[in-house]
Amino acid sequence: MLVRRIASLSKGLYVLLCFAFFYTPIFVTMIFSFNSSKSLTKFTGFSLRWYTQLIENSEIMSAVWVSVSVAALATAISTVLGTITAIGLSKSRKIIKEWLTNINNIPIMNPEIVTAIGLMLLFSAMKFEKGYLTMLLAHISFCTPYVITSVYPKVRGLDVNIANAAMDLGATPFQALTKVIVPMIKPGITAGMLLAFTMSFDDFVISYFVSGNGVMNISMIVYNMTKRTNPTINALSTIVIVVIFVAVLVVNVIPKLKNKKGRKINEKNI
Amino acid sequence: MNTLIELKNITKTFDDQQVLKGINLKINENEFLTLLGPSGCGKTTTLRIIAGFDEADSGELLFDGIEISKLPPYKREVNTVFQKYALFPHLNVAENIAFGLNIKKTDKTVVVQKVEKMLELVGLSGFEKRDVTSLSGGQQQRVAIARALINEPKVLLLDEPLGALDARLRKEMQTELKKIQKEVGITFIYVTHDQEEALSMSDTVVVMNDGYIQQIGTPTDVYNEPENRFVASFIGESNIIKGTMIRDCLVSFDGFEFECVDKGFKENEEIEVVLRPEDIDIVKPENAKIKGTVESVVFKGVHYEIMVRTELRSYMIHTTDFFEVGLDVGLTFGPEDIHVMWKMV
Repeated sequence: MLVRRIASLSKGLYVLLCFAFFYTPIFVTMIFSFNSSKSLTKFTGFSLRWYTQLIENSEIMSAVWVSVSVAALATAISTVLGTITAIGLSKSRKIIKEWLTNINNIPIMNPEIVTAIGLMLLFSAMKFEKGYLTMLLAHISFCTPYVITSVYPKVRGLDVNIANAAMDLGATPFQALTKVIVPMIKPGITAGMLLAFTMSFDDFVISYFVSGNGVMNISMIVYNMTKRTNPTINALSTIVIVVIFVAVLVVNVIPKLKNKKGRKINEKNI
Repeated sequence: MNTLIELKNITKTFDDQQVLKGINLKINENEFLTLLGPSGCGKTTTLRIIAGFDEADSGELLFDGIEISKLPPYKREVNTVFQKYALFPHLNVAENIAFGLNIKKTDKTVVVQKVEKMLELVGLSGFEKRDVTSLSGGQQQRVAIARALINEPKVLLLDEPLGALDARLRKEMQTELKKIQKEVGITFIYVTHDQEEALSMSDTVVVMNDGYIQQIGTPTDVYNEPENRFVASFIGESNIIKGTMIRDCLVSFDGFEFECVDKGFKENEEIEVVLRPEDIDIVKPENAKIKGTVESVVFKGVHYEIMVRTELRSYMIHTTDFFEVGLDVGLTFGPEDIHVMWKMV
């Protein structure tokens, strides 16, 4: 009896420790973003000082804009590119399929620093002026393989005749794509999109190497600012955490609500 | 009867393998035509060429007298029911059936009415809002049929549509399909490897093998008058025996001469004879030319399958009477039971 109680208690403790380990750093950041003094060790009182400073700091605000806009554009473009590639891949000959899926894995496995230097050298060789555009192109290039990886298995799982069935019923090839194929592989596309967005949003290494002319994203500006104590970073981090928390909540709750509604309709008809 | 579809000398090669070696076929209006053959004989390829999913390497494909080889599938007046249904899982039953009409931007109220009518036709009234993945195989098949028929095609193509169903459901759907075909009054082109299915549903059976058409005829024709050894052995069980046509209505095999009803062969031409197992009677040895002993007896439900060993070969006989193994018996058959066919080279 006692043994069992100790066992269940230690199980709970273990889980608690794990979560503490994951979340303490985040909580510390959040708490100290509301600190009234500059100290990162002593909490001297509640204030929104760092938040006002954050909004007033045009350098940080422009970095936020760069991160958000690059992530959004890179996600949109790489999702379209990756999805089309995955669909095309499924219709290719076997040997092409095998080669391309393997080649697609290399950028994912490759150390980021190598990709970063490679892209930097490429842009220099092509005499591209480093800045927003080079950063966007780099992000598209490293996001696309992730989209392909998450969409391809969904495409492969489709009935071989599904596009034929749509065209047989009068759909043009484009309509077959938009009305049948894309809705059916949507889970894969959504997963790929989320992956691409996160990869792009928190990228540091590649952005650092391919950007220039003062164009910086959040990771780069944080890196620059950590050289001196600056709690505005805490405020920025807190906002990002809250945004991500809300996003995760929405992504997880919406399908559940939809399912409930769908099930009700089905039940009514049985 | 008007010819609706005509295939002239259609050939098709996939990866160095010639799947169709010159198909010539006329398909009439309101006909239930079955392409029957073993897997790999080219029947599905023929269907896909008519549907427009594959293009023939050479030959002509005429629809109502007009060449349609280059027409994409979405412009052809045919609809297909696929082997694994190929329903759209993200749409419910009504949305699946309405797909074709919605593509054509048909008026909503018309769509609702037509969907209802189709569901009634296939016996799924009240299933409108159901999720297609929650349906049984037979129900999914009915949705697939409704989804095709709602577009009022001139021809419905069916690619082994009952392949995934169990034996009982298959029988049920066979009757149902035949009923639906009569009701909508359009041409059905049906692909199957199941000879029983082909014989019980079709107006015309096209037997295919190895990229060629072996025989075209009514179910009774192909069963009773197989043109060659392949057709005879593929459709039903049969005893195939080499023999000689002595003259019209007289054939010789197994060392005896028999009267028959076949004409038009050369004198003393080498031929093959088909004897269906159910056409052979087992009698006392003294009453028959061919004599032998019962080798084995297998109970098949309705009948016994009896192998009788004679001097030259074993005969397969289907009979409802029981004979003991080892019994000496004689075999008889009437002139009309002997089917003479060309020898295959």
